[in-house]
Amino acid sequence: MMRLEVCGLTLRAPGGETLIDDLDLALHCGTVTVLMGPSGSGKSSVLGWLTGTLAPGFQARGQLTLDGRSLLTVPTERRRIGLMLQSDFLFPHMTVEENLLFGLRGGTRRARRERVTANLADAGLDGLGPRDPATLSGGQRARVSLLRTLLSDPAVLLLDEPFSRLDAARREQIRAFTWQRASTLPVLLVTHDVADIPAGARVIEIGAGGRAVTNAGDRPALDAG
Amino acid sequence: MRQHGGWLQRGAAAGVALAFTVPVALGVAGTLLQGSGLWRPFAVTDTAPIHPMMAVLGDPRFLPALSLTLFSGLLATALVALCSVIVLVSSHGTRVWNGILSVLAPLLAVPHAALAVGLLFLLAPSGWLARLVSPGISGWERPPSGWTVPDAEAWSLVIGLLVKEMPFLLLAAAAQLPSLDVDQALRIGRTLGYAPARCWSRLILPRLWPRLRLTFLIILAFNLSVVDMAILLGPGHPPTLAVLLLQFLADPATRAAASAGALLLTALVALGCLAVLLAERLLASVARRRRTSGRRGVASYGARLGGQGIACLLLGTGLLSLAVLPLWTFALRWRFPDAWPSVWTLQNWAERLPRLVEPALNTLGFAAATAVLALVAGILWLEAERRGRVPRLDGLWYVPLLVPQIALLFGWQVAAIRAGVDGRWPTVLHAHWVYALPYVVLLLANAFRELDPRWSHAAATLGAGYWRTLWRVRLPLLRRPIAQAAAVAASVSVAQYLPTLLLGAGRHATLATELVAGQGGMDRRATSTLALLQALLPLLAFGLAIGWPAWRARRLGRASRTSSPTARVAA
Repeated sequence: MMRLEVCGLTLRAPGGETLIDDLDLALHCGTVTVLMGPSGSGKSSVLGWLTGTLAPGFQARGQLTLDGRSLLTVPTERRRIGLMLQSDFLFPHMTVEENLLFGLRGGTRRARRERVTANLADAGLDGLGPRDPATLSGGQRARVSLLRTLLSDPAVLLLDEPFSRLDAARREQIRAFTWQRASTLPVLLVTHDVADIPAGARVIEIGAGGRAVTNAGDRPALDAG
Repeated sequence: MRQHGGWLQRGAAAGVALAFTVPVALGVAGTLLQGSGLWRPFAVTDTAPIHPMMAVLGDPRFLPALSLTLFSGLLATALVALCSVIVLVSSHGTRVWNGILSVLAPLLAVPHAALAVGLLFLLAPSGWLARLVSPGISGWERPPSGWTVPDAEAWSLVIGLLVKEMPFLLLAAAAQLPSLDVDQALRIGRTLGYAPARCWSRLILPRLWPRLRLTFLIILAFNLSVVDMAILLGPGHPPTLAVLLLQFLADPATRAAASAGALLLTALVALGCLAVLLAERLLASVARRRRTSGRRGVASYGARLGGQGIACLLLGTGLLSLAVLPLWTFALRWRFPDAWPSVWTLQNWAERLPRLVEPALNTLGFAAATAVLALVAGILWLEAERRGRVPRLDGLWYVPLLVPQIALLFGWQVAAIRAGVDGRWPTVLHAHWVYALPYVVLLLANAFRELDPRWSHAAATLGAGYWRTLWRVRLPLLRRPIAQAAAVAASVSVAQYLPTLLLGAGRHATLATELVAGQGGMDRRATSTLALLQALLPLLAFGLAIGWPAWRARRLGRASRTSSPTARVAA
């Protein structure tokens, strides 16, 4: 059982302003933890710190462990922390299939192709492998992006407002797809839309001033997919 | 907005296109006709009718010159590409990258000839580098005898081209990176488990290269056909092909052979460009197979540090070669192995300044006129293009940058002589303008195309006509790129050696012509004074281009503060 723990995280913006003060987090397999707060409150910076891609100028203090092993000195590419952003960031110079192959780890050439084809079919994207990502709909792109992240075999999944750019009709469909696919992983979702929060998720709110952190505790199931 | 004045705008844009294309076409056609033996405007009656192509191919210096050209041009271009990639991959996103960005523009602005002189004074056995490590580290009490600058193998030229052209490619890359969203691509790639270098090779470089292809081909064409830097840093016996052809041109008996050689040089550039395009296809197919292999690569901090070291070494060499110039201008006594002059003086300047006034004023005059005319032409063309009065012709502006100067100017010179306008100030200015306009148009094009059209719409709804909107709204909003384009045009003009020499018929001494002509014949103090002046003019232009919009913005900000209601209340 994978367990990602954050202990006493304090984040300061380049100007010295404290964005996050003494945050504790524990992400467990099969559970979704939601980080909520107003724009500029430092939610995405927490993800940057977790992935080791915090912008220069930010100051961070705290402990980060995965199954008891400290990740702070581990480079981004070896942390096994998957990330999905607001924008799907499908690489425009690769086909849909190549994007997925890029994410996939290990395996022979043939086995890799078969696995990608099977994943595409399973996600209702059958036959879209040779397509240019730009020709897909927003919902299809979001699904391909999530598949690519999951094929890289992450130990933890971070989602940075991944549904905010989708239209209302697709949003519900992609939420359901995401929670189903990521059901075995520890997931940290950053959002400011309560409708994004799945049933049984643990919600942490960052104070309106952007400094105080309120641990909101477990929330009753919301009407998510 | 009213659409009157269409014919006027179309006519002005057509005038710009004609003034640009006619000399280019005449120049290339003239060289082609002379080189192929179809036209002999300067036939010497007592010479045997050897075909110009045979004359150049039969010259014993041709093959050595060709091999030197191939060696220096191709190696320098390959190193420019390789070092630029290494610098990008190892430095982007770090503090080193910010430092690199701050020195690229000045290194690019400095003319090739001035930088070449600085490199001579830096890398020669008695140069500043040897002095800085002597006698303490090296133990040299006298200049060492292990190398010379320039050298017979053209290594000095390769270093010069690398130091001068790498900033050009890096600056072009830096301009493109924001539109590729590099930081997010690196972030996604790394969270998928890829080492940073793999992210660059698989995610960023394949998308960056198409945007840099043309810049790279321009660098290749330049490196294969450079004249001024080859005279100063290249070998003399034999020289590179472009310099040999210039020597042919000085003799009426071999003028046609010079044109034939220019055709061969053009063919060489074309073959080089073709080879680059073929190599690109080959590399692309290999990269396409590899990028889906799933191999993540391993981050190497040693390699990263090494890459940053290469950046510091090459850019530091460029900066040191500029720094050594003022030292020599103020040196009265500077014996080897002293690191600094032992006696300083203003005597060099006092003695030489009167003789420098004429070339400096000529240079300044050409630069100012070129900047103004290139700006006016560029703005006329881009405005006409924006309003759909002329088609978009981006490829046209690249022609003079891709055709070797020597191939274009040989024919242009003959046309100018035939028209009786050679040696005249406007003819030289026209040549400077032809070489500056491409940079102005290409620099301004994005800014003009991306400026929100609603600014013009807003002005129109307030009753402003087209010209008033252009003058009072669009151009002030584009003040910053316009100022930078003017600075680039001025620095291109300051650097022009061959156009001034060939079309000026030796009647217009500029800092560039004096510097190259005096090579070998002047002492270091005189040469460094010329080179420093030549380097300072473009730096001054860039300083104004950066400072003027900033000053305007500050003045506006101050006026806003003093006239705001709260400020008045506080007062």
